[in-house]
Amino acid sequence: MPAGTSTQEREETREEAAVADPWVTIVWNDPVNLMTYVTYVFETYFGHPHAKAEKLMRQVHEEGRAAVSSGSLEQMEVDVEAMHGFGLWATLQRSGQ
Amino acid sequence: MRAFKERRGAFVARVGRDEREVLASLVADVAELLGGVRLEGLGRAELDALVASGDDAPRLRTAPVPAPDDPAVRRLLPDASRENPEVSAEFRRLTEDDLRARKVARLARLWSDLSDPAGDDALRVPLDRAPEVAATFTDVRLVVAERLGVTTDDDAERLYEEAARPGTDATRHYLVSVYAALTWLQESLVTLMLERHRRGDDDD
Repeated sequence: MPAGTSTQEREETREEAAVADPWVTIVWNDPVNLMTYVTYVFETYFGHPHAKAEKLMRQVHEEGRAAVSSGSLEQMEVDVEAMHGFGLWATLQRSGQ
Repeated sequence: MRAFKERRGAFVARVGRDEREVLASLVADVAELLGGVRLEGLGRAELDALVASGDDAPRLRTAPVPAPDDPAVRRLLPDASRENPEVSAEFRRLTEDDLRARKVARLARLWSDLSDPAGDDALRVPLDRAPEVAATFTDVRLVVAERLGVTTDDDAERLYEEAARPGTDATRHYLVSVYAALTWLQESLVTLMLERHRRGDDDD
């Protein structure tokens, strides 16, 4: 997290995440992103082996979404920002939702 | 236009002069949407500074950043949460300026490659820049698809049929043709990137 963002609100969010369920990053299907590209992102960014990356890509394509990572809110913010950088449509939410 | 091939430390595609102009102008449109600046109007030094600004230290914001009104920009900088506006707002405050700057910087760099007056028809992408070029193709395709009203996988499939059969709307056909060409170019690039990654050659 960049320096200078430790507002009180931020601290509260952090404590909340530590005691509650971890968060997940969801990647959603969209009509533009190529299957090869989504697989490439899952293999290179998350370091998934090729079979797992393809399975997650197929899940996004066929079921409309897949949970691609999980952890603290801060970690998921990093992953979602990276996905948006790649042009993938990603959100974060509490796991189990 | 000819697909990317790996050649001496780079991925190289062949893009003719007319095709380059079309792509460069579309890349400039997307940069303007995101960065509010027209790349054609910049001098060399300003363009270099814009490209370099993608690597700047994180930008600090204390006030909230409103979500973009334009649906195409919103697709490039989406909400981080579907159900929690506070999470989305906080994410935007922390990340949007940096994401925008990175996207504009890499658009400016690709525009510069496509607009080089001394360049032949080789579009040369050094291996270490391939991920940013692939991501930039995605951003441009996302904006074009939004403008063409593509919301489902079937809509996207129909575009390729449409590309082969010109309709009466010349502007739409132009966008459909560029979209199809960019998709094809991106697929050829990403296929090579993935093959290279799987060979374990990424660190060469």
